[in-house]
Amino acid sequence: MRAHHRTLTRLAWGTVLAYRADFVLQLLGVAVQTVAVIAVWRVVTAGGTGSAAGLTWDQLKAYLLIAFATGTLMSGFTDWQLAERVLSGNVALELVKPVDYQLARFAEALGYVAGEVVVVLAMGTVLLVAFGGVPVPGGAQAVLFLISLLAVIPLKFGLIYLSGMACFWTESYYGVGVARVAVTNILSGALVPIALYPDWLQALCRLSPFPGIVSTPALVFLGEVGVAEAVRLIAWQFVWIAVLWLGARTVWRLAVTRFSAHGG
Amino acid sequence: MREAAALARIYLRMLLGYVRAVLEYRTDALILVLASVLTQLAGIVFLTTVFAQVPALGDWQRWEVIWIFAMVVLAEGIGSLCFEGTWHLALYINLGGLDYLMVRPYPVALQVMGSTLGPNGFSNAVLGLALLGVAATRVDVDWGPVTVGWAVLLMLSGVLVKLAISLASNTTAFWLRSPSSSPAGTVHTLGDLARYPITVYSTGVRAVLVVIPLAFVGYFPAASLFGKGTAGTIGAFTPLVAAACIAGAWAYFRAGMRRYDSVGN
Repeated sequence: MRAHHRTLTRLAWGTVLAYRADFVLQLLGVAVQTVAVIAVWRVVTAGGTGSAAGLTWDQLKAYLLIAFATGTLMSGFTDWQLAERVLSGNVALELVKPVDYQLARFAEALGYVAGEVVVVLAMGTVLLVAFGGVPVPGGAQAVLFLISLLAVIPLKFGLIYLSGMACFWTESYYGVGVARVAVTNILSGALVPIALYPDWLQALCRLSPFPGIVSTPALVFLGEVGVAEAVRLIAWQFVWIAVLWLGARTVWRLAVTRFSAHGG
Repeated sequence: MREAAALARIYLRMLLGYVRAVLEYRTDALILVLASVLTQLAGIVFLTTVFAQVPALGDWQRWEVIWIFAMVVLAEGIGSLCFEGTWHLALYINLGGLDYLMVRPYPVALQVMGSTLGPNGFSNAVLGLALLGVAATRVDVDWGPVTVGWAVLLMLSGVLVKLAISLASNTTAFWLRSPSSSPAGTVHTLGDLARYPITVYSTGVRAVLVVIPLAFVGYFPAASLFGKGTAGTIGAFTPLVAAACIAGAWAYFRAGMRRYDSVGN
């Protein structure tokens, strides 16, 4: 990371601090969804005594808390900042700067992620107190989990960055952002473990980058997959990171050619 | 009565005026519609998966839960379709934009509420009604003229409760003066909890959903329709609760207007 990237990260962190109330409120959606989904699953597992799809209540709870964490990371301001730059035309100013646009945005996003980590730890603690503790992995499993969790950040960035670029073609970002969240919720396994889906939907999930956002880190955390399978799933995360990163560069080249800022 | 009809006619004209703006940005409108359909689809996928595991959530059967879910979708749909402007109130106040509205001989609250239209409301309303239609044939209710009438009344009441909550939570902007509607957005987000029978939650969460009467959008009216004991008895009062909520939100807005002092320019 070069000096100007560090500066961008620090500035983004400053934005988090300046707009802390809005920042936290914006992240509340995922937390509320988590409360609802956990509460429903608690009833499904007969008040925490039974199991669903081979997962005990404690395991399901851990799964959904990981979903909460990965759903919150890289979700607050990154979306809107990317879209706003294009919609307002400010992206024109970025074009004259001798800085790689995509890398610069990633550096900024890391500043927001710092804020999201704080929120995840705070809200996660509340959720743990409310719903009770979960089993924690150790050894190789813990290391693999941390790698897959870290991989979520560039993976989600790729998806958000790409959807943000839709604003070169639309006049508003709201619909695109909502659609992205909805598709992520369905295909990543954020609401239910993918194993509970019908076969065709499972196949669709596996063909997409989305399981890497929730399902992979959650399954690794639970030890539901062996070491070999975990490594394979994590490798897929990195394949998708590369595909999205390079794909975004291509889309960007197409997008700037049709970009026209207002006369201001 | 004639006055009310005039108010409604002008309101409709305002909305139709905005339809032209929506048609100007067709792609964006279509994306919004698609996005809201996908959002509700995520909820349906979740419920379908849950009910593949168990036949019922406590006392609540599959289609009864879907009924609650559909009522919330319908209420949110009508809210976006006809009253989306409510969400712009904070911006109006922050920019002093109510000045213009106050000189017109039409209630300021209605002018704000009808100032825009959310195309996503259309798909949500249609989807909500469709789900209610399907659920109606699957739930254990003996449909006759009286039950149908009662169901419609409960539905309308639930929609009114949701509208009142939106208006009241956005009205808070008169005191906060920030251009952001995120405090109201937070209340709206809490509405996601009310898509399921509130019996799944602990006492604290239930209390929140009763105090901010989000549980009266879907849960309590459905409980009344399906005869769910105490909750059903409370649910029978939903029309009264709705009337009280609307009156309360309206009075709160008037209090806000008295506090409004424009901006310096």
